[in-house]
Amino acid sequence: MKSLLEAQNVTKIFGSGLLSKGRTVAVDGVSLIVNEDKPAITAIAGESGSGKTTLARLLLGVIQPTSGSILYRGRSLTSMDHRARTEFRRQVQAIFQDPYEAYNPVYKVDQTLTTPVRKFRLTHSREEAHQRIEESLRMAGLRPEETLGRYPHQLSGGQRQRIMVARALLLNPRVILADEPVSMVDASLRATILESLVRLKRELGISLIYITHDLTTAYQISQNIYVLYRGSTVEVGSVDKVIRDPRHPYTRLLVSSIPLPDPDMQWGGESEIETRASATSASLREIRGCKFSNRCPYVTAECLQDRPPLYLTDDDRAVACYQYKDSTQVSGREMAESLARN
Amino acid sequence: MASDRAQARSAYVLDVRDLLISYHTAAGPLRAVNGVSFFLRPGERLGLVGESGSGKTTTALGLMRLLQEPAVIEGGEVLLDGVDLLRLSEEEMRLRRFADISLIPQGAMNSLNPMMKVGEQLRDTIRAHQKRRESRVIIDTRIREVLQSVELHASVMDSYPHELSGGMKQRVCIAMAILLNPKVIIADEPTSALDVVVQRQVMLTLRRVQEALGASVILVGHDMGLMAQFVDRVGVMYGGKLVEVGPVRGIFKDPLHPYTQLLIKSLPNLQTKEDFHGIPGLTPSLLAPPSGCMFHPRCPQAVQRCSIDVPILAEVRPDRWSSCHLYDGRQP
Repeated sequence: MKSLLEAQNVTKIFGSGLLSKGRTVAVDGVSLIVNEDKPAITAIAGESGSGKTTLARLLLGVIQPTSGSILYRGRSLTSMDHRARTEFRRQVQAIFQDPYEAYNPVYKVDQTLTTPVRKFRLTHSREEAHQRIEESLRMAGLRPEETLGRYPHQLSGGQRQRIMVARALLLNPRVILADEPVSMVDASLRATILESLVRLKRELGISLIYITHDLTTAYQISQNIYVLYRGSTVEVGSVDKVIRDPRHPYTRLLVSSIPLPDPDMQWGGESEIETRASATSASLREIRGCKFSNRCPYVTAECLQDRPPLYLTDDDRAVACYQYKDSTQVSGREMAESLARN
Repeated sequence: MASDRAQARSAYVLDVRDLLISYHTAAGPLRAVNGVSFFLRPGERLGLVGESGSGKTTTALGLMRLLQEPAVIEGGEVLLDGVDLLRLSEEEMRLRRFADISLIPQGAMNSLNPMMKVGEQLRDTIRAHQKRRESRVIIDTRIREVLQSVELHASVMDSYPHELSGGMKQRVCIAMAILLNPKVIIADEPTSALDVVVQRQVMLTLRRVQEALGASVILVGHDMGLMAQFVDRVGVMYGGKLVEVGPVRGIFKDPLHPYTQLLIKSLPNLQTKEDFHGIPGLTPSLLAPPSGCMFHPRCPQAVQRCSIDVPILAEVRPDRWSSCHLYDGRQP
């Protein structure tokens, strides 16, 4: 396995370091690997405050980790020279949640596409540039004649989001980080955009990191999933295991809360895993052990003592919960490696 | 037969007929709600679902007469227990809001006044609807009761909105909506800003208090999953019109209108993977709407007539309403 993009035991703490009061541990020792030899879609799932967007920003090199490192082709982002960094910025692209915010409303959308071509000197002539832009629009499922020459407000939300996909494609990236790319898009277009993301992997061999709060779409398009809770990986593995048969009490709570579009699969009156109390930030700071312990119905004395490590409950799934302490312990890095390989 | 119909209609708590709402924009009038008719039975939960621009929120605000310029209600009736809300004076309508028909607005948690304690905002709501002033003790007893029913501690009365979590603020908005025992509660995307776990808890609370109150609910939104979990009947909107109304199971298991069929097919589930069925084409421009059926340019089953004649919402099977030429001549 060749590691293309990797988070190595990454932690990000915001706020002043001296007093624990103002500190927020946004990402807490997370490891993740994108395999260069095997394109895949990896989901990072969690609710607000899970640290998923901070992890994305770390992976993009927009912010620096407090400890641990982000590696691109084995080299730490912080030790890269200018050339390597330009290369990294071209090969790792991002697509964000609200495509409208990414546009300058007074410029035609063409500008969004010509700027990267110019900046990265992708082509030699204007004609070639135009060709390349049209090609990438088509790959994103758009008709160039219906897209170019328009202003952002003249396009639908789905079209604007697909232009962002086209923009990412222009640079011929190896990895695309998609942060909630369909959460602002209407249902009828959502499927179309997810389909174009899957095509990128299948036809162009691009790996995707799909960051979302929506486990249903994560199940639809990804092979592996990392479930984050307050910055830590609580469950990681193949989507078939994690989403269809969740083990961690938090993942089970999440999955049982999904409003499935089927009147015959109703939410229970009470969830199987009802949370005891809503976590307040005050009580959280005092927690030494499992971060979910103040909400978990299965909490034991052990959970309050130490942070649970990952236990390998199946070949392709690990759970950070003492309920599974009879299984083999595994490090986040080992687990990331084994998932990237399969 | 006709008298049966009339009797059935009088049993509806809310009866909306031919509602027409336009936005008068610089580019010309835009018909956001184009002849929408539906009814609401007592105690029933009805979903109004549609994509952005389908007219669902405009309909909801229209029922409450809370639309602002450039939106204008140009026609129709909104009968609440037989009284047409559209004919009431502004003051009469003000007294009906909260008391008879209340709204949990979109992004409701941001609709709370940030400078005012929660208790004071709830007291104001009660006072604004009282003919004679009740003592604060009586008012506060009622508020405590309602807060308890939405699973909030009475101490939130002394909190400012920013001191509460999103889910708690949303519960305050539900409390406000039920404070005066309305007959109809309109909830416009009440949980769109919340995480799934909290969303589920808030929706279950809303269902519980609504059932206890015997009120009817109109849930407005785009999330078909939420509709499947929460409502008894669904109305599907497209391009300012209702294209289908029917019991939730029928809508999901046996949709009649081609748009509903494609919409249901496009939904992701936890059974199949990489199985995508987007709806090709774009939502119609309301400034230059297509002739005939609004959906015909995207409809795989369209015939020539669909681009000429506007289909009318009709009861094509018992309790199943659809506006599509496929079902013409099949009235029961």
